[in-house]
Amino acid sequence: MHSTLSNRDAGVTSTLDRGTILRWVTEIAAAMRQHRDYLVQLDAAIGDGDHGTNMNRGFDAVLRALDADETSPPGRLLILVGRTLVNSVGGASGPLWGSAFRQMGKRLGDAPTFDAAALVEALDAGLAAIVDLGAATLGDKTMVDALQPALGTLRGAVDAGQPLRSAVRSAAEAAEAGMRATVPLQARRGRASYLGERSIGHQDPGATSTAMILRALERAVSGTG
Amino acid sequence: MANERRTTIQSIDRAAGILKALGAGPLRLGVSELADRLGLARPTVHGLLQTLVVHGFVEQDPASEKYQLGPGLLQLGYSYLDLNELRSRSIVHADRLATRTGLAVRAGVMHGTSVVIVHHVFRPDDTLQILEVGLQLPVHASALGKALLAHLDARVVDGLIQEGLPKLTKHTLSATRLRQELKTIREQGVATERNEAVLGESSVGAAIFDRTGAAVGAIGVAGETERVFPRAPARHPAQAVIEAARGVSRELGAPRWSVSA
Repeated sequence: MHSTLSNRDAGVTSTLDRGTILRWVTEIAAAMRQHRDYLVQLDAAIGDGDHGTNMNRGFDAVLRALDADETSPPGRLLILVGRTLVNSVGGASGPLWGSAFRQMGKRLGDAPTFDAAALVEALDAGLAAIVDLGAATLGDKTMVDALQPALGTLRGAVDAGQPLRSAVRSAAEAAEAGMRATVPLQARRGRASYLGERSIGHQDPGATSTAMILRALERAVSGTG
Repeated sequence: MANERRTTIQSIDRAAGILKALGAGPLRLGVSELADRLGLARPTVHGLLQTLVVHGFVEQDPASEKYQLGPGLLQLGYSYLDLNELRSRSIVHADRLATRTGLAVRAGVMHGTSVVIVHHVFRPDDTLQILEVGLQLPVHASALGKALLAHLDARVVDGLIQEGLPKLTKHTLSATRLRQELKTIREQGVATERNEAVLGESSVGAAIFDRTGAAVGAIGVAGETERVFPRAPARHPAQAVIEAARGVSRELGAPRWSVSA
């Protein structure tokens, strides 16, 4: 779909560029389309049932917005992703992911390429934006339960000098473990908290789509997208 | 709870504990799981369960032999709603409010630190929506809750603030700002809430008064923030919300709707 893919030994040099971002959001959009009904089903149990359609619509809008952009550096692209999400996604995921992507983009700045360490810093800025807006901490049964452990794992793996591809794979696995760990929790943030104890026993839809976004990142840095 | 123990009957406490445990999640529970959870002997739990089954409050899944809540409770729940005069008086006004504003309508009553939704009208469009009756809104971060708080005894507000107001989003009000807002709500007769409980969602509400002039509930609209607070001020739902609350209050015999707005 996009012609600007970077040409490199997968994961070894860990030089990332706008092609990485384009592949990431393309993979996210595909995942949201594929799993839309599953996310709707999860959200109908403890939310208002629109998470799947919101994420699907939002990332389709992101693809259209990025299609028109042929030059922006990776940081600028992420800011555009964020702005599009804020404008096109209802519910909580629009403002949350919107500001997360915007902060990631700001952290990357205007450089044409970035490395694994910069990716960690960008994701860290994204998580901080989500925590600030949503006032959620680990164990509240939200997307933070998937994103925070994923980021911790990624940072550890990158610091230890692991190839980026396997580092991101470990991060995606940590996100999925965090996602599954939301099942026995009682929701303390978001719409699900209106259910009180009845939110126990259901997997959080926000943590689920977050785990999908991490898997999409793994495919993006593998260059197999 | 602990100091209330002396005045309660043990077996009813235990039966209530079983019902709450079964109601706490979507999973069926076996006798030993329940016994562990409640710290009771298995034969005791078994006897309580059998009694609850006879009354239709609990049923046993034949395949797994585990227990779940029974349909008798749904009947009781609806009896509660039917008896709730505020709800029955709200129905017509709630429908009209939804039609006028194009938004979902909620009516609720205070229950501890929450507002329990006793009536819900879907947003008048064909999108998927989930029934909200029985959901608990945070009293400090919902328009219904703030509309009620503004007209309750100051000690209720003090108590709530002392318990701590959980910060549910970046926009949840602090104790100081909540107190200021309650004053404005008393003056204007309408409460607004913007992204304070759930990001992207907002609400507008007004208190409902009964024949004694006491605030007994609240009614209002809720939905996506951009829809609840449209750019064009003429389409702001406040006036329609006030009129609905005034209508319900009048039917409940309120001497006058306590705000001039």
